Amino acid sequence: MYGEGLIKGLRVTLKHFFGPHLTQYYPEERPILPPRFHGFLAFDPENCIVCGLCQTACPNRVISLKSEKGGEDGKKRILTEYVLDFRYCMFCGLCIEACPKGCLKFTHEFEKATYHPDEISQVMFRKKVEE
Amino acid sequence: MPRTQELNLNMGPQHPSTHGVFRCVITPDGETVTRVENHIGYLHRGIEKIAESKTYPQFIPYTDRMDYLCSMVYNQGYVETIEKMLGIEVPERAEYIRVIMAELSRIASHLVMVATMAIDLAGTSNWMYCFREREKILDLFEMTCGSRMTFSYMRIGGVAEDLPEEFIPACRKFINEFPEKMNEVHELLTGNEIFQARTKGIGILPPDMAVAYGVTGPNLRASGVPYDVRKNQPYSIYDRFDFKLPVRFNGDCFDRYLLRFDEMEQSCRIIEQALDSLPEGEIKGKVPKMIKIPPGEIYHQVESSKGALGFFLVSDGSNKPYRLHVRGPSFVNMGVFPELAKGWKIQDVISILASLDPVLGEVDR
Repeated sequence: MYGEGLIKGLRVTLKHFFGPHLTQYYPEERPILPPRFHGFLAFDPENCIVCGLCQTACPNRVISLKSEKGGEDGKKRILTEYVLDFRYCMFCGLCIEACPKGCLKFTHEFEKATYHPDEISQVMFRKKVEE
Repeated sequence: MPRTQELNLNMGPQHPSTHGVFRCVITPDGETVTRVENHIGYLHRGIEKIAESKTYPQFIPYTDRMDYLCSMVYNQGYVETIEKMLGIEVPERAEYIRVIMAELSRIASHLVMVATMAIDLAGTSNWMYCFREREKILDLFEMTCGSRMTFSYMRIGGVAEDLPEEFIPACRKFINEFPEKMNEVHELLTGNEIFQARTKGIGILPPDMAVAYGVTGPNLRASGVPYDVRKNQPYSIYDRFDFKLPVRFNGDCFDRYLLRFDEMEQSCRIIEQALDSLPEGEIKGKVPKMIKIPPGEIYHQVESSKGALGFFLVSDGSNKPYRLHVRGPSFVNMGVFPELAKGWKIQDVISILASLDPVLGEVDR
């Protein structure tokens, strides 16, 4: 019979019409993220040894860091600035794999939309200048 | 004195049924299309040129951004090219994980094809049901590699992370439920008389023309040519799995549409077998810290969801490729579109384009 397929299809949609909702009501209902979720990056300046491996691993030169000589014997390199330019970040995780000390990791934060491009780049660490 | 003139009709670049920013200039004679001209390049990012300025591992995230619907296969193709050139042994477990991921990616990509074909022919509910299934695959990817679309999961010599504990039961659940959900799509769309009228016998691609234009993948197999890189030149560990090569013989839009379902069925079979025989062990082989490839060239092919995907790599001995050429299946498949659309009505052009399933991110690169 012509039109049988149409009626069959309508039956499927009708079944779903009375079925449960499948979508999330996002801002009210928070998504459940898996532990490995690639959100924004978190940086731990305590353990950083300023090796620069994260900088060389990054495909887009997102990471820029500055350091100075210091420490007890004056030879140890000390981190003074660590800036991530998230405009170019692809969230690939190559920097995290490169870090020998595990200073970088992904967080579950993903709501970082800004109105201006300059606001995106993030200063993760900056040494306080002592006066 | 009034006279009739030829009319040039632009379809795209911002046309919802061109799956991206594809533009074609149609010359209609009344309702019948007499000439179609492809215009591509609106999404050109120069990815092949970017490859020359990146080290070998740094280029992995860029391979995701070519065919964003099936990016696991693109990851796999690229890293396998380098492994083949360096002669790196990949651990068994990593190979199995790669196959599982690639096949899940293939299912996700075919689901998008079915969904977009439905919505191009005004079947909105079917779009929702296909994307609901795709969402489950994306959840599987997200729990494994953290991203939902651009995964950059494969690494030279293995994969980035091991499968999480909850992956295997979740994947099995998905595979078991999948055929039932596809029945829903069949009831809703495949049996629909309007859908059949708009696809059956439309845009017939004869096998000799398909071969002459270099069409590969499901579009070629729907024309009756049994060619699949996974079967004909097995790469990775595809020779260990028992799966059929689905072939259909009419070569029209309806066959190209149905062949995607056959492929998804076979992909499910491969995933099931891979999950059953997944070995324990390492996930990353021994790879030098600084990857330098000795001078030479190589061509390696894998089967993406759109067809044969090839990477041609020329190395000059440094840590960056001298030249990387990508043989994109969508790009080659698009070549047959003007020939295929000629002589059909304007609304048939939409269904022909949808059935070819191009991804413009990869056509323009």
